[in-house]
Order: sequence, then C-alpha cells, then structure tokens
Amino acid sequence: MLLAMAWRNVWRNARRSLITMTSMSLGVAGIVGLYSYREAANEAMVRDITTGLLGHIQVHGLGYQEAPSISTVVKNPVQVEAALAGALPNAQTERRVLGAGLAGAGERSAPVMVLGVEPKTTTLYRLAKGAELTGGHEVLIGRELADELGLSPGGELVLVSQGADGSVANDRYTVAGTFVSSSAELDATAVVMPLNEAQSFFALGDGVHQLVVRLPTDAEDVSPQVTALRAALDLKTLEALSWSEMLPQVKSTMDTKRRNQGVMDFVIFLIVGLGVFNAMTMSVFERTHELGVLSALGTRPGRLLGLVLFEALWQATLAFAVGVAIAALGLYGTGTTDLSAMMKGDVMGVRMPSEVHLVLLPAALRSAAFTAFLTAALGAVIPALRAARLRPVEALRHT
Amino acid sequence: MHALLLASLTLLAAADAPPADLPVCPSADDKPAVAPLIRRTERVLEGRSSIAVMNMSIKTPAYERTVKMKVWSKGRDFALVRVLEGGPRETGMMTLKREKQLWNYLPQAGRVMKLPSGMMGDSWMGSDFTNDDLVKGSSIADDFTAVVDKTGAHDGHQAWFITLTPKPEARVVWGKIELILDRATCLPLEQRFFDEEGGLTRRMTYADLKKLGWRDVAMKITITPAEKGRQTTITYDSLELDGEVADDTFSLRRLQQGKE
Repeated sequence: MLLAMAWRNVWRNARRSLITMTSMSLGVAGIVGLYSYREAANEAMVRDITTGLLGHIQVHGLGYQEAPSISTVVKNPVQVEAALAGALPNAQTERRVLGAGLAGAGERSAPVMVLGVEPKTTTLYRLAKGAELTGGHEVLIGRELADELGLSPGGELVLVSQGADGSVANDRYTVAGTFVSSSAELDATAVVMPLNEAQSFFALGDGVHQLVVRLPTDAEDVSPQVTALRAALDLKTLEALSWSEMLPQVKSTMDTKRRNQGVMDFVIFLIVGLGVFNAMTMSVFERTHELGVLSALGTRPGRLLGLVLFEALWQATLAFAVGVAIAALGLYGTGTTDLSAMMKGDVMGVRMPSEVHLVLLPAALRSAAFTAFLTAALGAVIPALRAARLRPVEALRHT
Repeated sequence: MHALLLASLTLLAAADAPPADLPVCPSADDKPAVAPLIRRTERVLEGRSSIAVMNMSIKTPAYERTVKMKVWSKGRDFALVRVLEGGPRETGMMTLKREKQLWNYLPQAGRVMKLPSGMMGDSWMGSDFTNDDLVKGSSIADDFTAVVDKTGAHDGHQAWFITLTPKPEARVVWGKIELILDRATCLPLEQRFFDEEGGLTRRMTYADLKKLGWRDVAMKITITPAEKGRQTTITYDSLELDGEVADDTFSLRRLQQGKE
C-alpha cells in the first residue's frame, strides 16, 4: 500500500517529478556510459598487452627486467615450464629471445630489436605482407622498418649484434614477410625470427630471455597467480613479474583515471542529490495538510517517512532504467571505437587498441545503481524526516 | 683512438737507428719541456706501417674470451683487423678503418656493413675499446695542454707524471688525461682517462717492454674501465714494423670480397 501511494505521489506533480527524473537519468547515463567506455578501453588495452606483447606474467633470468642483458637468460626453459605448469595448470607459455642489433640492407642500416619467437604460438604480430616463418634462414620485419630499409618480402637482411659469449653475431637472412603488432615501436624496429635461429645467432644454447605466460583470465589483477608461480620457481636465478609490474605506468594511469571518475560521479550526484532534496522538500511542503490528516488519522511517523522515501526511490528506479537505456543506446549505437586514432603512436610503450567494443558493463550498472539510489535516499531523507515529525494540529492548519 | 694508443697498438716505424732529427729522450731532466717531450713520444710510437698478430682478451662479469687477430696499419689513417680465431661466427671477420670511417666484413653474412655514426660509441667486438677509439687519429700534442706535475717512481720505473687538459677548441670526449711517462724510454707506462665531471672512466697500462730495432715497445696493453669486473688485455705474438704494406690492403673492394 505504501509503495502504491508513493507511486501515485510521484505523478501528483508530474512535471516536477519528470524534471527530477530527467536530471537523475542523465546522471545515471553519464556514469554508466563513461564507466563502461573507460573499462572497455582498459580491458581492450589489458587484452592487447596480455595477449600480445607482454603476456600476463613473464619469467626472466634474475635482474633482466631491471637491466636487460643478452646474457641474462632462463637457462633451462623446459624445466621452468614444467614448474610453471605445476603452479598454473591452465597457463600457456611462449618462449622468446630478445636482443639488440644492427640491421643492414644494401647501403641502408638501422638499429633493430631482434626477437626470437615460436612462430606457431606467438600472438605478437599479424602478418602484413608475405608469408609466415617456416623455419630456416628467414625473418619477418616490422612494416615501418621494412619501409626504412627499403625491404620487401624476398629481400635480404644482414644482422650484426653481440652474442651472449661476447662474440660478434652476424648473419644474413631472407625477409619472408612484414608484420604489424600492438606496438609502434616493434613495427619500426623489430626483426622476428624463429626461436632456435635466434638462440643460435646470439649463442644462447637453450636459453631464452622471456617465458611469456598467458592465463585463461580477463582479470586485470594477476597477483595471486604471480605469487603461486614465484613459490614454484628458483628465485635465486629467476624472476616472475606481472604485466602491471613490467608496465607500471599503464596500470597507474588506469588507476588514476578510475579515481578521477570517482570524483566525477560524486559531483554529478551531488547536483542530482540537491535536486532531489529540493523536489522532495517542495513535495512535502505542498502536502503538509494531507500529511497532517494522515497523521491525525493515526498513520505512524515511520510510514510517513517511508512514504516520502519511497516516492524518491520510485523516481530513482525510473530514472535508473531510463538512464541505463540512454547509455546502452549510446554505447551499442557507437558499437566500436578506435582509440589509436585519438592517440597516435605508443603511449608508454603500448599502442592504444584500435578496436574497442563498447558494452554495458554489469559493474558500471552496479556503481550507477548504488550511487543513484543512495543519492535519492539521502536527498529525500531530510524532507521525509520532516514529514514524519509533523505535528497534526499544526499541519492541519496549513493550507 | 688517441695517437698514443693507436700507435702502441699498431706499432710503427723501426729502422735500426732512430731518425737523425729525433730529439734525445730528456731522461735526466726533472722538468722537461713537456710539449716537445710528448711530440717526441708520439713520433716514436708512430711510424710508417706495421703488421702484427695479437691476442685480445676480454673479461666481463658475464664472459671471458680471447680473440686472436692480425692487424695491418699504415700511418694514422688506415688499418685493417682480421679475426684469426674468435667466436663461432666471427672468425674471418674484418674491420677496415679508412680515415674517420669504419666498415665491418661479416663472415657469416658474407657482407660488408658500414658502421653508422650513431654506433661509434659502442663497444668494438665486445671489448673495452669503442669503435670511436679505432677511428680517432688525433694527436695528444695537438689537442691537449700538458703540465708535468711531479716526477717519481711508478711500478719500479722512474717516471714523469703529466696532466693533459683539452684545449678549448679540441673536440675530445675526455675532461682530463693523466699520463705517466717512463723517464728511461720516454714511453707511456700508464694513462688515466677522466670524464668531464672528473670521474676516472678507464685506465690503460703498458707493460712487457721489448726491444724492436732501435726502440722499446710495450708488448702488453691493458684497459680497465670504471665498470666493475671488466678488462681488456692486448698482447702481441709478433710485430713487424715499417715493413711494406700494400695500399690495396685497405681497399673497400677487397673487403667486400672478403679478402684480407
């Protein structure tokens, strides 16, 4: 009965309620929309990082992250992978060799990053032109590097570097194809070759520089898995790091954006909350007489309080539904967005994802619902208390 | 590299008697005229040509290795180094210096690559020499102002301790060089290189003097950089001074064909 009465009260002054609800629904739409957009972008970025460049976790020779050196390796990747499989049964691993060198083609030369990968398991790059590595004396090179060196598939690339034993590593390779990756830096500087080829080039034996670990999760926080992995590894010779430890700037930027949004949410709802407060105060004031009648008829103060609160909450409910609908329309209407168009090049070593699928996130709904209902309740609580405390005699005199 | 180093590595000039116009080493003088002294030292170390076989031992925290190589040189501007015994992919590697430029012949690739100017500061063959060291043919006498600080004993030799500060117009990377010259031979015993902040960046010591013709030659040169655990030592197996070296030796075309 209370709910029904509150519902009817909403429409007693339909115009005022509609104005209040409009401002609330715009607030909700704003929060849901921005939250979803931000998180979708974050997720896309984390997915790019974890599936491509970095993986969720990496295992290195101790000290590699701090000071990458060609001779700091995971000496026995097979053994380490076994330990890893024990600690994280569903994880996938990928071995990589990483070194700096000088690449030459004809008269041109350029400093490059040499990457030894397992061509079948790596997700580091997408082929742009030419063919995938088939083993042998072949390399793929980043698209921009190919332009710089004037190379195309079938061309010849000379590489010089320093091996792990200090000797001069040098060799000549056929360019099988060019690639694009999730990092502009890679596209402009990377030479990719089969893992065993790179191990032999750098005189590494079985050693690899990175064991890239991918977990079957979309979670941003992988610290439990890192802890589990560390327990299984010999930390005197190895280190295990999460993507956020390897790219702390990316993680902290995400966190800063979230904090800023929290402030935004607060401001939006402070304004909306004051609107609710104003509307409900007016509504109680206008109905002083009838509230007095109710009170005189023996309605208990608690029910009067409830009546006003529920009126506000009804409005919040409607506004929430409309706000979510607006946000959904906006998000799904846009469908995908291209962050890389907004920010050219790499941001802190990571290229912005070019395709972000915008979706309504349940977490965004929760956050918006929480704020909307809380604000409505808080905005209405003072007027509601006033209604509950009305003295019937005085109220009846009010016209 | 600087004249003293370049010349010591490539060791030039050796007739049986010193050139007639070479001043006598002022061994007895506590405060010799320092500019002529250094010019004299550079002249002794410099010469027409050299052919040497040497071993370069490189010690780093990560590895230790020795590369055996043959070096041809002519004057200050031309040198060719061929790796006789080295790592799996570097035997047969050659480095050609023609004036201020360096080319490497890469045996595994079978190609010649010119060193880009951006990599001049990088290590040469993983040693404590930089590519720049090989290319620099400048003269200490030209680029530095010298002062004899004191005279005294150093490693069992009586020596002059000389401080070299770059002349304002000189294009050098060092803030200061300390040179310890043997009073008996006028040859360097040790050089200490300081950066512009005054930090010691490397020490170079000369040992195992051997009589070659009319002059003494250090058969062992050690470079110790400031970086812990690193050292490069060069020792000569054989050394022939002032012999005939064909100009052709330093031709880029021969290098491209992989011929020494």
